[in-house]
Amino acid sequence: MNGAQHILEAFHCHNIQTVFGYPGGCIMPLYDALVDDARVEHVLCRHEQGCALAADGYARASGRLGVCIATSGPGATNLITGVANAHRDSIPMLVITGQVPSALIGTDAFQETDVLGMTLGIVKHSYLVESADELPGILDEAMKLAQSGRPGPVWIDIPKDVLLTETTIAPITTPAQPQTACPDLTDVIALLRAACKPLLYSGGGISLAHSEDSFREFSECSELPAVVTLKGIGNPGKYSTHNLGMLGMHGSRAANRAVDECDLLLVIGARLDDRATGKLEGFAPNARLIHIDADAAEINKLRNAELAICGDLNAILGELTQALRETPLAVNDWRKQCQTWRTTGGFQAADNEEPLAPITGPAFIRQLSRVAPDDTIIACDVGQHQMWVAQHYQFDHPRHHLTSGGLGTMGFGLPAAIGAQFADRQSTVLNVTGDGSFMMNAQELATIRRYNLPVKLIIMDNQCLGMVRQQQELFYNNRESQINLDDNPDFVAMARAFDIPALKIERTDQVRRGIETILAYNGPMLLHVAIAREENVWPIVKPGGSNKEMIDETRRSAADKKERVA
Amino acid sequence: MITNSSNISPSYTITCRMNHEAAALERLCQVVRIRGFRIAKMAVETTDGVLDIALTVQGARPVAMLQSQLEKLHTVAEVILTTPALVPAARASAASRTA
Repeated sequence: MNGAQHILEAFHCHNIQTVFGYPGGCIMPLYDALVDDARVEHVLCRHEQGCALAADGYARASGRLGVCIATSGPGATNLITGVANAHRDSIPMLVITGQVPSALIGTDAFQETDVLGMTLGIVKHSYLVESADELPGILDEAMKLAQSGRPGPVWIDIPKDVLLTETTIAPITTPAQPQTACPDLTDVIALLRAACKPLLYSGGGISLAHSEDSFREFSECSELPAVVTLKGIGNPGKYSTHNLGMLGMHGSRAANRAVDECDLLLVIGARLDDRATGKLEGFAPNARLIHIDADAAEINKLRNAELAICGDLNAILGELTQALRETPLAVNDWRKQCQTWRTTGGFQAADNEEPLAPITGPAFIRQLSRVAPDDTIIACDVGQHQMWVAQHYQFDHPRHHLTSGGLGTMGFGLPAAIGAQFADRQSTVLNVTGDGSFMMNAQELATIRRYNLPVKLIIMDNQCLGMVRQQQELFYNNRESQINLDDNPDFVAMARAFDIPALKIERTDQVRRGIETILAYNGPMLLHVAIAREENVWPIVKPGGSNKEMIDETRRSAADKKERVA
Repeated sequence: MITNSSNISPSYTITCRMNHEAAALERLCQVVRIRGFRIAKMAVETTDGVLDIALTVQGARPVAMLQSQLEKLHTVAEVILTTPALVPAARASAASRTA
């Protein structure tokens, strides 16, 4: 078999059934091999960025490896945003690109770009394959590397002649490394027991380590008050009574208050990102910190840990659960205090009682949360709607909430929803997006139509770049700059042009029926939700500010005055 | 990126062993730059597919962060950090021009 056929054989050996790609010159041998191979389902997206983001959504929703394929030059450069997105959120991904023939590398050949060089900073590792006989070892190593430890994208750039060269070496599937023994947790448990106000802080590392169940068991057993990062939403489950919600820039007052007052912060599977911590000098000022993570390079990167543990989160959480089950923590006063904060400082949004009133973002998301089935996967885009989903939708599992956390990639949601639907054909998959984000990858409506995916699209349309407008209003003296989108296309007509039915709602009394209509429809459908241009996400911490300085709507005018003086 | 904000610039010597594969040195140098350091001196030897690299880097950030990020690279086998020394800014500046 030639190199291209070998790649498909390796996919089969590694149980990779679905890949997302777009053909072109130098990757054509692989597409030629696909003609004779029915074992691999190739999803043709309409832009390489769509391929990469769909592979990302597939990986997030399933926990399996996402695979995307493109040709050299523009095919490869179009992948870059999607791969960077996966890198920043540690998503396991295999990227395969064709490259110009080996003899032409470095000659400025047609569709030649230095893919290896330009992607070094956005991959966990990358390869330029020099011979077909290298392929078996590289493919096996790349697939394992992408999914092990702290996951991430691994990129294999393959010259066209290598794809065409015959190789007799069979695909390699070396067994996965056995888990190492659980580290000694004696000191962790001692610190936990010594604390009066311990707080559990979890992030995306929980699902990346496939430790959702272990975490849930630990959380329930320990009854620790808990906060989550954007990517940790869903870790404690929708019924947890100890969850204070998301912390950080748009976090709940309860979560940020608890972080401010705790005397021990138990950080598990999180990297203390600046959007979560706010200004580091003011972050958890009274707390000792225990940091448990798969990546040793995250320890002491931004905040020194009193104790740091690196290893398999499943094993560590299991040991911690066992220890606390035998002797529970005696921190009832702290639990009661956090419960009070949860009641008074959780995310709140009043349902609008006035039927003809304009639709508000938070109330819409709350209604969606009440009506959507429990297995619903929501792929967000980036902006105000993303934060309203994070604040007001009740997620029961972290893999139900797909969001671009680290890179903040507008245009993520639609292709990610496509990937999620391929990962789970039975679940309800929603793309909740904004009018700005939707237009970034709207071409993927054609992919939804081609595969008749029952993805539901909800555009929260405020006719502007709402999050930018909000920050211009609050922090730039209300000087609006290049945020106006009031010349958006007719989204309903646009969906229909792709043969996707659509409807528009703009009043409160239309919300429930609109949501129920798209959820009940047997196929893809778009709901265009008109919301007020002036609506903001509350609370907010000024970028670079301390989480103690949260601004909410009632403090808005005071903050505005202060800003104007400054 | 400006990493030398005072009169004295911390300087560190790092030795690193990694596989000699495509873009190996670029990968290493990019990590040094992104994590806030400048390369003042660099010597490389190749033996049997392995690169032995001696680096002198300067920067104001904690060097342990650089070390852990270098160790994280898949093809890096070993990173050894020598005791940091302080060098005058003028000398550091001159040295950086040689990078």
